[in-house]
Amino acid sequence: MAGPLAPTRTPETTVEETADLDRPWVTIVWNDPVNLMTYVTHVLRELFGYDEPTATTLMLQVHEEGRAVVSSGPRERMEHDTSRLHAYGLWATYQQDA
Amino acid sequence: MRPFRRKRDDVVARLEPAEAGVLGLLLDQLEQLLTADADDVDGDPVMARLLPAGHRTDPEIAADYRDLTESALRAGKTDDLAAVRASLPAGGGEVRLDPDQAGAWLRTTNDLRLALGERIGVTEETEPPEDPTGEEGQQLAVYYWLTALQGSLVDAVAAGRAGRR
Repeated sequence: MAGPLAPTRTPETTVEETADLDRPWVTIVWNDPVNLMTYVTHVLRELFGYDEPTATTLMLQVHEEGRAVVSSGPRERMEHDTSRLHAYGLWATYQQDA
Repeated sequence: MRPFRRKRDDVVARLEPAEAGVLGLLLDQLEQLLTADADDVDGDPVMARLLPAGHRTDPEIAADYRDLTESALRAGKTDDLAAVRASLPAGGGEVRLDPDQAGAWLRTTNDLRLALGERIGVTEETEPPEDPTGEEGQQLAVYYWLTALQGSLVDAVAAGRAGRR
């Protein structure tokens, strides 16, 4: 569910890629009752370089809809993005886009 | 407490002696959790929140993720904790943080709130305690004190970013 705000990263193409492997991976931030809304916005700006309106919109999507896709791209990048979010205590997971 | 405010490139707050003492104890508890043997904290919901699964439904991917990232995440959290301890005046007083130290305080106060929130079962509906005595009231009071401290720090750091433009 790559939202319109999720940045598209250039996939690293290799010769053995199949159609299934071409499906992008996404990093999702989930709502939780502890993280402050201002903190979530700050972290999204800090880690992904989003401007204030973009980070705020994503934060509100997490808060109101329970989750938001914050980045998309190759699996290794999404692993990395997830671990950077975990370092800041955000509740994040990554998965192949449905 | 005088909450965090921006002063040039630093952020500055002032803690009462009792507040510095409580924060020191919370840091000790967090450090014990982060450095405990994996077997001793296996299944602890606080650890599951501090080092969450990377994938929701695929245990193989989640295990891969844990192998790849857990030791670095643990080390980062332990480094942050040490940086907070080094900049915390044990007897209370002024806390003055440069941008790197402010980052460590942001992440560590967040981990403390995650740990405490998980232990006392904080939900979206939780409110500050009417009676801050008794064990539950005290823990909630500490949670809300940490929330105020971290909230002021987020605002002070964000104000710095606005000022850089």
